[in-house]
Amino acid sequence: MAENERHPFLQGLSKHRGAPPTAVVIFGASGDLTARKLIPAVYNLAADNLLPADFHLVGYGRKEIPDEEFRQLAADAIKEFSRREMNDEVWQRVAERTSYVAGGYDDPAAFEKLAEHLKQIDEKVGREVQPLFYISTPPSVFAPILENLGKSGLAGKHLGKGHHAKVIIEKPFGRDLESALSLNATIRSVFEEHQVYRIDHYLGKETVQDLLVQRFANSIFEPLWNRNFISSVQITVAEEVGVGTRGGYYEQSGALRDMIQNHTMQLVALTAMEPPVSLDAEAIRDEKVKLLRAIQPLNLGEGGDVTRAQYSAGMIAGQPAKGYLEEEGIAPESNTETYAGIRLSINNWRWQGVPFYLRSGKRMARRVTEIAVQFKRPPGTLFAGGSFDLACNTLSFQIQPDEGLSLILNGKVPGLETRTQPVKMNFRYSTTFGSNTPEAYERLVLDAMIGDGTLFIRGDEAETSWKLYTPLLEAWAAAGREGMDSYPAGSWGPSSAEALLAADQNTWRKP
Amino acid sequence: MAVIFDALPGMDVPAEAISKSLAQMWAETHAAGKAAPSAEEAKATQVNFVLHFGFQTTADDARQQFATTVEFSKRYPSRVVVLCPSRDETFGAGIRAKVYGECFLGKSKGDTRCVEFVILSYPMAARAYLEDLVSTCLSTDLPLYYWAHRFSSATRLNDYQYLLRASKRIMVDSAVVPLEALAFNWPKPEALRDLVHARLLPVRQGLGQFLSGFSPKKLVGGLKIVTVTHQPERSAEALVLREWLKPRLAACGKIDAVEFSVQADAGAGAPALAVTFGYDGDSTFSWAGYLSNNHATYEADFGDGAVKMTTGLKLLDPAAALSEAVFF
Repeated sequence: MAENERHPFLQGLSKHRGAPPTAVVIFGASGDLTARKLIPAVYNLAADNLLPADFHLVGYGRKEIPDEEFRQLAADAIKEFSRREMNDEVWQRVAERTSYVAGGYDDPAAFEKLAEHLKQIDEKVGREVQPLFYISTPPSVFAPILENLGKSGLAGKHLGKGHHAKVIIEKPFGRDLESALSLNATIRSVFEEHQVYRIDHYLGKETVQDLLVQRFANSIFEPLWNRNFISSVQITVAEEVGVGTRGGYYEQSGALRDMIQNHTMQLVALTAMEPPVSLDAEAIRDEKVKLLRAIQPLNLGEGGDVTRAQYSAGMIAGQPAKGYLEEEGIAPESNTETYAGIRLSINNWRWQGVPFYLRSGKRMARRVTEIAVQFKRPPGTLFAGGSFDLACNTLSFQIQPDEGLSLILNGKVPGLETRTQPVKMNFRYSTTFGSNTPEAYERLVLDAMIGDGTLFIRGDEAETSWKLYTPLLEAWAAAGREGMDSYPAGSWGPSSAEALLAADQNTWRKP
Repeated sequence: MAVIFDALPGMDVPAEAISKSLAQMWAETHAAGKAAPSAEEAKATQVNFVLHFGFQTTADDARQQFATTVEFSKRYPSRVVVLCPSRDETFGAGIRAKVYGECFLGKSKGDTRCVEFVILSYPMAARAYLEDLVSTCLSTDLPLYYWAHRFSSATRLNDYQYLLRASKRIMVDSAVVPLEALAFNWPKPEALRDLVHARLLPVRQGLGQFLSGFSPKKLVGGLKIVTVTHQPERSAEALVLREWLKPRLAACGKIDAVEFSVQADAGAGAPALAVTFGYDGDSTFSWAGYLSNNHATYEADFGDGAVKMTTGLKLLDPAAALSEAVFF
């Protein structure tokens, strides 16, 4: 919204300081995400004075929990998980407007009770309060919650006004194209697309947002950002942890669904999309979708674009680690991949011929998420030959941990003879800006509150990504364990992934 | 002004060897096993910052603003130059220099930030020669921010055009500088920021969020008088608040006939700041900020029922206000 279109009393204030009176309703209020991320996010927004004065927090869940107990659970969560120490005065101001409604997700009467509760908040406040529904539940209850929000009239509350009802939905947005289409159909039968905020917390990370700034606010990169100068792009989302006690969940998911289809594809889109016409949410999301649509169908045959693997026993940080099939809750014949390696081809003017390599895995050598843009080698033979150690110029965005970016250049080793050596220029967020920056969820919850969908996924983005990966998922499901490679826990991945890049004379980085 | 220079922390160094002295200071600190960047580590500097004390500054006040700047630098690692002029119109002892550094340990080794201060005491006669020396103390290519504190007359700043012109933002505090300062012929008026305005962010935000809930038409329909009352020590805040309200109400509708009044109220229990809109009809709006116990009350009725609300309220602390003025 343009500055002069805002209410005169919001003009001159940052958009993030202009949230209308809001009631955030969390479905799945006693869940892990609520305690670890959502409640601390609300608390930190309050500590930064970013919540509207009329802010209400409503927990909703199947368990009967008295208001006071819910407030205590929330306080405990802040003490344990907040990036800041708890300040009683700040928390008290949130706590006195915190309440809990118990009810089933498929119980229309319970949603009527919730509607009445929100109506009472409106009356108490003396004006209309924006309802922001946060669905933080297992996907199996997404549909009944959405349907009941529709039936109870809550989804349409204040529609047509700036403070209309909004809904935040946590991934997964389906588990294949068909289920994604079905979920979107359910959502759209109840909410209009502009009311929907599909959250991918990666988009709330500073470094991810910095990608757009680096690309489009620095004139040195954009002229080079194409097939003429870039030889390949590698995106790594590596986890050091195994499946732990979440084996049951992970068996239904796998690396492709858990990481590649969502987080990694968002990183691909932001790295490769064309400059949007503005920073408006729709302009950015339009460009992301255009890019996703330009990705060619994957070659699923032998020597094709994909590889999958499971971790076997190995060593993590000097300690023995179990293989995936020995983990709790994992079927001995499981064909769930803990590692996926993909080569994408983007068929557009900018990127034709530049491979985008993606990989994500559990139990890898270390936890790291990065985007590495590898430039072509310089032409000529001036510094060719054995005495020169020339590296490809590489620009790497480290998303986590140690957020920042590095550029590899070639420099002269001091001395009488000309010898070269790759040198690294580093920028680290924590060094320059300190590490106590807002968590992704703080930014995203506040963005939804003020109606800014830039950092959220639009329905067609999710569908386009599923369209690309569903044939692969089906092929893997049909193949059972055939073609499943393995890699030792604590390594950088299977040999088949190395072969995938070797075919293009490339190698995986060890970031 | 030597009083101020002597009151500030730091190690006396020759003015011609500031860079060398800073390097030596860190090397010695590092060798002593204390938090300091080692020679191999880059000291990330994000901004250049010049804190310039005017003649009205006392030693205590200088220490306070110095501490505010240190606090600011913790969040935004800065290369800071502190300027302490003396009234001496002869060269006297020339320019004296001090260096000061602090490292702050965060959650991890990678979260260690170090800030560097160069403190310069100079006789007025040397002010024309200060520009080059200051430039050598700052980090090339990074943005410069300039805070002019407690100057006795804005015209004195004419001698520091290079700072006024090169700075991305210039901060003054209208509570402690002469009233004419805001009307001074600033070479880049768009760069000027009043720290009082910055401190009032929570008030502006609270009022903005609350009043934006009512239609602009209702806010100005029948509006006769806008009164800002304040405790005597909050007169600067009251003036800034009045100036903030005026254009916003004007954007809501015609307010040519509306009177804007600022009144002091020293009564016991009076709010630190308050705003009342007086209407011809039944509409009402009042806001009161009680800064001593961190809360604000809102009361309004624009014909759709009375709205009453109490919220927390705290003005921004000095370092946060400085950040707000510098970056927003």
